[in-house]
Amino acid sequence: MLMPKRIRHPKVHRGRLKGRETRGTEISFGEYGLQALEPHWITSRQIEAARRAVVRYLKRSGKLWIRIFPDHPVSAKPAETRMGGGKGTLDHWVAVVKPGRILFELGGVREEVAREALRLAAHKLPIQTQFVARQTVAGGEQE
Amino acid sequence: MEQITLTARPRTVTGKQVRQLRRQGLIPAVVYGHRTEPIPLTIEERELRQVLQRVGGNQLIRLQVGDDQATRMVLLREVQREPIKRRLLHVDLYEVVMTERIRAEIPVVLTGASPAVQRGEGLLHHGLEAIEVECLPGDLLPHVEVSLDQLTEVDQEIRVGDLSLGERIEVLSDPDELLVRIIPVETEEAVEEVAPEAESQVEVIKREKPEEAEEE
Repeated sequence: MLMPKRIRHPKVHRGRLKGRETRGTEISFGEYGLQALEPHWITSRQIEAARRAVVRYLKRSGKLWIRIFPDHPVSAKPAETRMGGGKGTLDHWVAVVKPGRILFELGGVREEVAREALRLAAHKLPIQTQFVARQTVAGGEQE
Repeated sequence: MEQITLTARPRTVTGKQVRQLRRQGLIPAVVYGHRTEPIPLTIEERELRQVLQRVGGNQLIRLQVGDDQATRMVLLREVQREPIKRRLLHVDLYEVVMTERIRAEIPVVLTGASPAVQRGEGLLHHGLEAIEVECLPGDLLPHVEVSLDQLTEVDQEIRVGDLSLGERIEVLSDPDELLVRIIPVETEEAVEEVAPEAESQVEVIKREKPEEAEEE
């Protein structure tokens, strides 16, 4: 699963999920993509599950790009522990996602294949998403 | 090539106030060029949408600004859209001098079907999606068509150097750059999933440099 190799601070504040994404909103590598429509934390397990769904469906054809990285640590206390005693230990990693963010990109496959692969991936994610296609020309309409 | 005309009006509203223009169905735009001072414009959204559907990034548009009788030849340089609903936000137009050579990117469009792919022996690997060229604005092509019919065997390929765009268009992209290639189908199906990396719980926590307080 994806996680940072080195970190400076294992426990950080939660932060707030306000507004829309301003970066990473265009398809940059592939031809098709999956775009987030809601703000949410996406865990590294969810990203991995979605990746597996796509790879399993594509069977070695095409190429997948993961455009989010879980670099936000989430801490948790052990089960059946009384409150107090300070902040829990590092539990898992999440990617902070805002609406508009391209989560995955696919290239080298036909549109129907990309649609189905990304539909399967979307089912592994906790948010509403939409399928988007790359702008072919400067002004061309995008889906 | 059909000539497309776009009408625009000079704009005085700038900054965040342009939101009001968008509400009225007017899209803010700007025209600039090598010998042109930038002019802020507004274009009717409906008309702009129709033009965008017909025009690519390297197709000349005849732009008429306000009541000005003279028209300008422009290229679409950038189209900004709202990321989710894809509504138009802003358009950059680049005014060209018809006697000056310009650099542009021409998209590569694949046509036909490769017999090797149809027989299931190979997969189509698409390399470069656009090639960089230098030419006079009037000689620009909307796209370059590459026929896949000639790719009958696996490992056959088409490179930039194989294209012939005529004498007027100078290709700047590397001639060895790959446009399309037929790659063999991988037979082993067992290795369909590549484990990304071993799940290591170890993470090196980089600590602050120990400040050796000078102790008495």
